[in-house]
Amino acid sequence: MKTKIFLVVLVAGALCAVQTTRAHHAFAAEYDEKKPITLTGIVTKMEWANPHGWIYMDTKQPNGTVKHWTIETAAPSQLVRHGLKKADFTDGMTAVVKGFQGIKDPALANGRTLVLKDGRSFYIGSVGGPNDGAEKK
Amino acid sequence: MSSIVPTLEWLEALGWTTAIRESPWDYPLLETAHVASVVAFAGLVIMMDLRLIGVAFMHAPLAQIQRRLFSWQMAGFVPSMATGVLLFFVDPLRFYGNVFFWVKLVLLALAGLNALTFHLKTYRMAERWDEHPQAMGRARRAGVVSLLFWSATIVSGRLIAYNWFK
Repeated sequence: MKTKIFLVVLVAGALCAVQTTRAHHAFAAEYDEKKPITLTGIVTKMEWANPHGWIYMDTKQPNGTVKHWTIETAAPSQLVRHGLKKADFTDGMTAVVKGFQGIKDPALANGRTLVLKDGRSFYIGSVGGPNDGAEKK
Repeated sequence: MSSIVPTLEWLEALGWTTAIRESPWDYPLLETAHVASVVAFAGLVIMMDLRLIGVAFMHAPLAQIQRRLFSWQMAGFVPSMATGVLLFFVDPLRFYGNVFFWVKLVLLALAGLNALTFHLKTYRMAERWDEHPQAMGRARRAGVVSLLFWSATIVSGRLIAYNWFK
């Protein structure tokens, strides 16, 4: 009986340990810490939504073509906490986004810092990203 | 199947679903309520499953365990379903396009079917173990299936957060 309980606790503990390493929609599952990017372009749309937001951005490539980026942001509660408002976004505005590129999808990025046209800068990263200093604590 | 998309688009564009989807606190609270009630439900189901399999609580009769746990299991099940449906309503297109969501629904149906069969058939026989010795084996099997299917349901539910297959 004691052995059985011990085994159950052991398996449960192991599962918890696995969960911790990949917890919270892990950054590492989708984004490459070694591919920092700075995007300057036009915000075509902002989805102010849970569980995290999306900035759709068009940038001009060196060869003249336009690349359509999809940039993940933190949840609205986090964005609000860092001073952003839904009204700060208008379709067609220019902006600079710093972040990290997706592993599988080269047009996907994890946003870390957003700089608006008026120069205001915001932390837009989700919990669990790399320690790149983007978040001012 | 694609005929359902306009309905989902309509659902997503509604004022109240949009408000929750864009809210700083309503959505996290809804998610938290969903996870908390799932945890309460699953934890109590696992207790019953371990008794059925013959691993735990063997000192108490099966009927007693069942009687004590059932209403509490339902107290977890009902809010977990309600919050789950709400979470779907708030962002229907995201779930519609997510493989893990559909896997979860199938697993949920299978787990539910197993629970229903157990309660309507096997458990009735279990009240007269002596007349139905085969019920013991069936109860054990129902416990194993329940443990596997509910766990798999929860795991696939968690995986909805990962857009691995778009």
